[in-house]
Amino acid sequence: MSLSRSPSPRPGGGGGWSSPGLAPGSGTSTPRSGGYSPSPGTLTPNVSWATAKAKSDEVRGYPSFSTRNSGFFSRQKHRLSARLPSFRSGPRHARDYVDKDEFERRPSWRPGGVGRGPIAVLGRMMRRPRSRLLLGLFVLWLGYMCLWTTLIQVYRRSSFGGGRKFVIILGSNVEGGVMELKGAREWAIERNSIWNKQKYARNWGYELEVANMLAKKRYSHEWRENWEKADVIREAMRKYPQAEWFWWLDLNTWIMEYGTDLQSHIFNDLESHVYRDINAFNPLKIVHPLPEFWLDDLGRALEGDEDPNSLNLLLSQDCSGFNLGSFFVRRSIWTDRFLDTWWDPVMYEQMHMTWEHKEQDALEYLYQSQPWIRSSVGFLPQRSINSFPPGACGEGQDPMVHYQQNARDFVVNMAGCNYGRDCWTEVYTYREMSNRLNRSLWQRFKDGINTLIDRVRGPFVTLDGDDE
Amino acid sequence: MQFALPPRRSPAPPYAHSSRFPRYRRKQLKTVAVLAIAVFTILYLLPRLFSSSSPSVVAPAGTASVVIVTVIDREQLSESYIKKIVENREDYAKRHGYANFFTSTSDYADAINDAPQTWAAAPALRHAMATYPYSTYFFHLSAHALIMNPSKSLKSHLLDKARLESLMLKDLPVVPPDSIIRTFSHLKANDVDLIMTQDGEDISPGSFVLRQGDFARFFLDLWFDPLYRSYMFAKAETHGLDHIIQWHPTILARLAMVPQRILNSYSKDSPSAGADGTYQDGDFVVRFHLCESTQGRDCEDEMESYYKLWQSKAKSQ
Repeated sequence: MSLSRSPSPRPGGGGGWSSPGLAPGSGTSTPRSGGYSPSPGTLTPNVSWATAKAKSDEVRGYPSFSTRNSGFFSRQKHRLSARLPSFRSGPRHARDYVDKDEFERRPSWRPGGVGRGPIAVLGRMMRRPRSRLLLGLFVLWLGYMCLWTTLIQVYRRSSFGGGRKFVIILGSNVEGGVMELKGAREWAIERNSIWNKQKYARNWGYELEVANMLAKKRYSHEWRENWEKADVIREAMRKYPQAEWFWWLDLNTWIMEYGTDLQSHIFNDLESHVYRDINAFNPLKIVHPLPEFWLDDLGRALEGDEDPNSLNLLLSQDCSGFNLGSFFVRRSIWTDRFLDTWWDPVMYEQMHMTWEHKEQDALEYLYQSQPWIRSSVGFLPQRSINSFPPGACGEGQDPMVHYQQNARDFVVNMAGCNYGRDCWTEVYTYREMSNRLNRSLWQRFKDGINTLIDRVRGPFVTLDGDDE
Repeated sequence: MQFALPPRRSPAPPYAHSSRFPRYRRKQLKTVAVLAIAVFTILYLLPRLFSSSSPSVVAPAGTASVVIVTVIDREQLSESYIKKIVENREDYAKRHGYANFFTSTSDYADAINDAPQTWAAAPALRHAMATYPYSTYFFHLSAHALIMNPSKSLKSHLLDKARLESLMLKDLPVVPPDSIIRTFSHLKANDVDLIMTQDGEDISPGSFVLRQGDFARFFLDLWFDPLYRSYMFAKAETHGLDHIIQWHPTILARLAMVPQRILNSYSKDSPSAGADGTYQDGDFVVRFHLCESTQGRDCEDEMESYYKLWQSKAKSQ
């Protein structure tokens, strides 16, 4: 029996369209065939093109001969399901091969005659304007479903979309298990955190650089590990020559909003999001502007040169000062010089016992002591890139510091979770919260129904889902 | 319903010149299109042309291109000595249209704190740059030095691109005699912001030229960092300079090292001059290096002979 023929409509008979189905033992199966019960009994063996054509002509003559399965989609689905296996059925190939000497016999899967093959089917359908419209819509819908996201992502990655201007650097594999054993939780945090950044970066066409912060001998004098950041950033700048902004994220962070892009969140209007006058929020009580009479206007300025293009380092402050869990640096000569200065061994030698927070304290020191740094540093409100969970900087009541679900804060930084808190629990909690907040409408609808059903069923069914 | 014949799509026969517009109309349209494109191009280009030229800072007329910065320790030096130094520099500046910036060490005492007062060079240069925001080059010259060749302009002697290119010492250990850090061999005169010399032991901060700009701010602020001042470098700011130039390639990338006698000849009594670093007649500058701190030397006596020589030269030239 040929599986490749056009499915023939059969008038009359209780069943309406009968499906050619699959011959038992054909060896192939199609997942689509589930809804259509194969009824080999109704099949005419060796249906020729002539009979098929006659029958389809018949159909064309009486378009409303059956009310069942007459819809466009069900018919096309049926046809597709009936035809698909024919493109790849093993045993038949063997037979074709045997028969190849027969004159004028062509492999039956090849769209040969006028009425055979998918193109012909389409062509025949195209004659009807309604089908044409429906098919057009169907193709559009299919394209939207399958390709739209990809197209958008490709566009964002391209030089037009501007996604390549941003690189996310994720400090991963901290110490690489050298100092402390890396347990299941550490692995889970790492896996999840990388997944989170990958998803976000893919969505907006950004580059993601997962930096391996393995403990190295180069950094192992005293507590020099964290200075590896400077080297990692420099490395990333070499690796992504087209990128302009580099976003450092610690491993214990979670990007909550995949729909928030950096351009509209911060960079399209840098001036309005960034404050340069540290007096606006100054937990370290840094003297600003500098009083030294021998400095130029820029060195003593309150707001730098007020040109957003001179901003080269964007970070946020928490309750105890600068926080480097999430910060941006721009590719620039300034940044080269800054990273170079950050590493300075003479400063480090004197201060490594005092600088408890290592490179973070070093940055605070440099900001205070060197005016050229000050004029290119901008501060972002903490919650715009670096919200804290309860437990860091207080128990969660501070609207300047702590994650606000209603405001849909962008990023959570589980800062200090290694000290007396549980990193994995926090990461897990925020992962789930982010997933719940970013449900699609359809998911929300389903969850709503579920909750409703649970409520109706009775109080002994525990409610989950929408409860925080 | 059937028609006997299909309706004709276009009224004109296929062999006729098929066009919705007659020929003269087409020509008109063409002209309009060309004009429109031209107008849009101009509108697109004009703001770009003008915006690019606006942000550059225009120096007011009469701005000195070079400022000579001299830090004077008024508590240590006698009035007559200071007068001679000032006279020497004033004369030189007047000849070439340069400006002078004299400042006193004590002005920066609060900033320097407990560290040696010789650190004053860095804030003094910052101060000079704030005072002369439109000048390009700042020539720091120690108070224990005289400009011996008043006819040589700094521009032609050192700053001209071609001249500087020919003077730059490439692939030279930055700190003598054998630092593993060497000056970049691919450096171009255009990239140079800092021109320095070495004596026999160190990079010499007593006489150098620094170009105003972002680099100068970075360089001076880093050099003057409180942690360097408190580090007890044996030679204070001199060793601080050795340190930052060796450890920070972003400084080295802007540094041109020139032969010592170009702007830093040492008097014959000065210790640690470089291989060819002792003053010879015709040199631009003579420095009485460490005359204030070495036993048995007296700056005023040492200067006297050179001062007389300079006076005769200044009169004759």
